[in-house]
Amino acid sequence: MSAVPVAVTGLGLVTAAGIGTAATWSGVCAGGSRAARDPQLAGLPVDFSCTVPDFDPDALVGRRSRLKYDRFTQLALVAAREAVADAGLDPKSWDGTRVAVVLGCGLGGVATWEAQHDRMRDVGATAVSPLLIPMLVPNMVAGNVAMDLKATGPNFVTATACASGATAIGTALSLLRDGLCDVVVTGGSEAGVSPLIVTGFAQMGALSKRLDDPAAASRPFDVDRDGFVIGEGSGILVLEREADARARGARVRARVAGYGATADAHHMTSPDPEGVAVRRALSQALAQAGVGPDEVDHVNAHGTSTPLNDAAEAKVLHDLLGARAAVSSTKGVLGHTLGSAGAIEAALTVLAIETSTVPPTANLRAQDPKVELDVVSGRAREQRTEVAVSNSFGFGGQNAVLVFTT
Amino acid sequence: MATMYDKLAELLVTRFDVDAEEIRPEVTFEDLEMDSLFLVELLVVVQTELGVKIDEDMASPRDTIARVAELIEEQLVPAGEPA
Repeated sequence: MSAVPVAVTGLGLVTAAGIGTAATWSGVCAGGSRAARDPQLAGLPVDFSCTVPDFDPDALVGRRSRLKYDRFTQLALVAAREAVADAGLDPKSWDGTRVAVVLGCGLGGVATWEAQHDRMRDVGATAVSPLLIPMLVPNMVAGNVAMDLKATGPNFVTATACASGATAIGTALSLLRDGLCDVVVTGGSEAGVSPLIVTGFAQMGALSKRLDDPAAASRPFDVDRDGFVIGEGSGILVLEREADARARGARVRARVAGYGATADAHHMTSPDPEGVAVRRALSQALAQAGVGPDEVDHVNAHGTSTPLNDAAEAKVLHDLLGARAAVSSTKGVLGHTLGSAGAIEAALTVLAIETSTVPPTANLRAQDPKVELDVVSGRAREQRTEVAVSNSFGFGGQNAVLVFTT
Repeated sequence: MATMYDKLAELLVTRFDVDAEEIRPEVTFEDLEMDSLFLVELLVVVQTELGVKIDEDMASPRDTIARVAELIEEQLVPAGEPA
């Protein structure tokens, strides 16, 4: 029995390349890194990041959103509204009981946590905001999107670190196939660029230390890569069973055809260099999509720009797919947005299919000779893509692979 | 000297993004779209900025601005002493 086809009918993006899907896609295809020195990180071991420019929450989300939502929720609300409008759906008239919200988030409201901790230390316990808990718990992003959209179907947040967004989309697929809902607003959001979190990643050696040239720091698959650049953002997709989408005359932007999920069970933070579990996740996703490894045209790689990830991922891709697929890592432009990366990249994979364009991998000057893949660099490549893969891997060895088709 | 009502109004404008034109004595916190969490947040700010502690169960979002200003004044002046 073949799986029920599921369509992507709406996209919303808020990233370091801009607010909105159009701004993000044009920035990603232009290929310039958005990493820059970040004033709030001044004096720390790593002082640059990829943040969303000119994001005014009160103007974009509504009154007092600066006071009642942490940034990871603000970003998601903007992206979710864009995605739902893009799908041609109207929360005022839809049957909200049939709408699910499933979002990925790795950290939650860390900036709120840090600010309130400072207040408790500096002023005292009585100064701690009663909004601390509702602002910081990670599941609140799905709760707030549901309140905003009057969506009262299944509602939760997935946490698989840097794979959270992809895990959310894969799980959303099952909800639709099982008939638990008719529409899923899915994806992820993260705003983890805070002094403590960035320092934590720096202390574990995960971040690029290219302090003298932030814009050249995120360089996936390059021989001189030395770590990832932290970013923030939100990516939201609206999914529906394809038959339902067609019946209401919606535009089907692409299909989510397959999902694979596995665990390395190898190390807390290092990927299994043999990539055994990643390979299995990719195989599962392709099998569910009903496509062969030799049919994959494009891969939006996890491609973090860390020495270990890119080597291990490249080995699996080469072993399983050969060198036929056009591979990109959009983290070169956007940095690594952690729990939302898989969702943002899923949206970019849909756009690659829809526009017949494979975005370039920023800063890829000298490809690591161990990366035996066709990695797109320099400029975007015009190419028809019928089958595309989006890889996401999280600390804890949690792997999620999505397959999209025309 | 500014009255407690004026001080409270100023906190609402500077800390809670309330438009000055919306503030009148008979306006409730509900009218300002401030729910119970925001009201407790306001009481935290009042304690930090004005040094007056109001228990959260003494005020509700259905109270008017004038009523909460009164509550703060009552806490400011110990019972039995002239205002």
